[in-house]
Amino acid sequence: MNLKVENVSAGYGSVQILNNLSFPDITQGQLVGLLGPNASGKSTLLRCLSGILAFKGHISFAGQEYSKTNHKAWFEKVATMPQSPPAPTALTPTELLWSTARALALPYSDQALAHRIEDLFTSLGIYEYRLSALSSLSGGKRQLVGLALALIREPELMLLDEPTSALDLHWRMTVLQLVQQRIKTQNQIAVAALHDLDLAARYCDTLVLMHQGVVVAAGAPETVLVEDNIARVYQVEAKISRSPYGHLHIDVIGPLPGSSPHV
Amino acid sequence: MTSKSSLHADFSRLNNRRILVLICLFVALLISLWLDLLAGPAGLTAQQVFEGLIDPSSLNLRHSIILWDVRIPDALIAVVVGAALGLSGIEMQTILDNPIASPFTLGISSAAILGASIAIILSPVIPFLPSQALTPVLALVGACASAALVLFVVRISSGNRETVILFGVALVFLCEAISFGFYLIADAEALYQIAFWAMGSLTKAGWIEVAIVSAVFCLVFPFSLRQVWLLTLIRGSEEHARSTGVNVAKLRIWVIARSSLLAAFAVCFVGTISFIGLVGPHIARLLLGEDHRMLLPGSALCGALILSIASFLSKILLPGTVVPVGVLTAIIGVPLFLSLLLQNHRRTR
Repeated sequence: MNLKVENVSAGYGSVQILNNLSFPDITQGQLVGLLGPNASGKSTLLRCLSGILAFKGHISFAGQEYSKTNHKAWFEKVATMPQSPPAPTALTPTELLWSTARALALPYSDQALAHRIEDLFTSLGIYEYRLSALSSLSGGKRQLVGLALALIREPELMLLDEPTSALDLHWRMTVLQLVQQRIKTQNQIAVAALHDLDLAARYCDTLVLMHQGVVVAAGAPETVLVEDNIARVYQVEAKISRSPYGHLHIDVIGPLPGSSPHV
Repeated sequence: MTSKSSLHADFSRLNNRRILVLICLFVALLISLWLDLLAGPAGLTAQQVFEGLIDPSSLNLRHSIILWDVRIPDALIAVVVGAALGLSGIEMQTILDNPIASPFTLGISSAAILGASIAIILSPVIPFLPSQALTPVLALVGACASAALVLFVVRISSGNRETVILFGVALVFLCEAISFGFYLIADAEALYQIAFWAMGSLTKAGWIEVAIVSAVFCLVFPFSLRQVWLLTLIRGSEEHARSTGVNVAKLRIWVIARSSLLAAFAVCFVGTISFIGLVGPHIARLLLGEDHRMLLPGSALCGALILSIASFLSKILLPGTVVPVGVLTAIIGVPLFLSLLLQNHRRTR
């Protein structure tokens, strides 16, 4: 059940974002971190993988080429958590998950669906907000509801676009642990766009470092997060070390002299 | 997985509460409908109306005509037009993710007024079309033409919300400008007729109009109910809906098509009662939340209830005169709407 991405090019109108992008095959049970500065193409790649943005090139999953697969069948395998959390409306998290499950015709009885939602909310720490309006929840809580929405199905491939951007440190770690645990136990693949290099190094099995729509480096965290790559992609000087607990730590010293940020 | 989930119990309680609200709205609508049947200058008592409903021959000919050919169609058209506008409004607001979106902000009513104005001012002779049907038919043609234009824009913009709304607003201005051009050549009588039509009046409708609007509502409503889950999902997150494979652009075309159809048939017979399509959905949302299983019927009930109350009040406020119902809906609706908004604001603060 590998994920293959070969020579993918995509963009919006006349603006090309991904340029012939490829990375090594991803095997099941892996959490893949997409890293890179803003506008490097992480979200665009996730949109291509999710099937909502047209692209040139080859994406295949579990032996099925996207271009030759029925769209409905692709969406059944893939669950996506978009970058923006659910809108702050009067809808409650339970109603949102319930309507999603029913709109997708997931085969749960009412009782089983309630149990599933209850388990998800409990593991994500939002059970007490189950009947609160989304408009009354913080951005971080709504982001967790968004994650629960992606997890309501049993996808084989999970695509998470900055799933921890609005969360505090505790929930960043909890969410990544939860995703990691889930893909290991259920032999899934998760691809997550991340900005936090330390957390990416700690929780991801494979990292894909992107810059201006191409892959600069891909592989195990210690081979990707090296000082030269970080300097080239982020235009910052950084020192890589290992903490006493064995985790990779990226100590950013400052912007490289004469560099301009990529926005 | 067989043990009772507390979330299931909580959710069921919430749903039961909302079903109760729907039942209350329905009962309120029945009461309002009854009061509307009683109102009028003919001196019919409640007992006579009740007996006349069960056995029309119990009334003398005059009273029978007043009840069966005037009061019942007037009262029923208020209910069906209100329901059509309430349903149309809520679907538009959800699919365009805009609290002030309605078929009227997309130019449907302006185009209907333009069509009615052409009928009243130019009185064109159309083969096989009786002269009394000219105004509603041309209003319908105008409304449908504007809906077709909006749908064309939805299609070529791949369902882009902002483009659709901005085009709708531009269409309102265009229709108004053309209407004003016609007013320059209209005489005073025609201008009075246009103004009266535009204010909205339920007295123009008979059984045929009730049957047509009811048929359109009954045709559209099942399609709306089939998409309640999708509409709820879109209300929560359009991006999530897209990422689960929902073709939002296609859904948008369907929803705008059926809402426009409902609004076009509603306004062509009774004139523009635009406030219902805006306020009905908001009142329903405040009472029932965002679950579209409850919200769609709730919005239709709220629209029907407001227009039915307005119909009743239009007959009793100024004895001997029927106040244009479009004026009353705004006068009743605004304070009611404001009080609900303030209550909701205090509750969520």
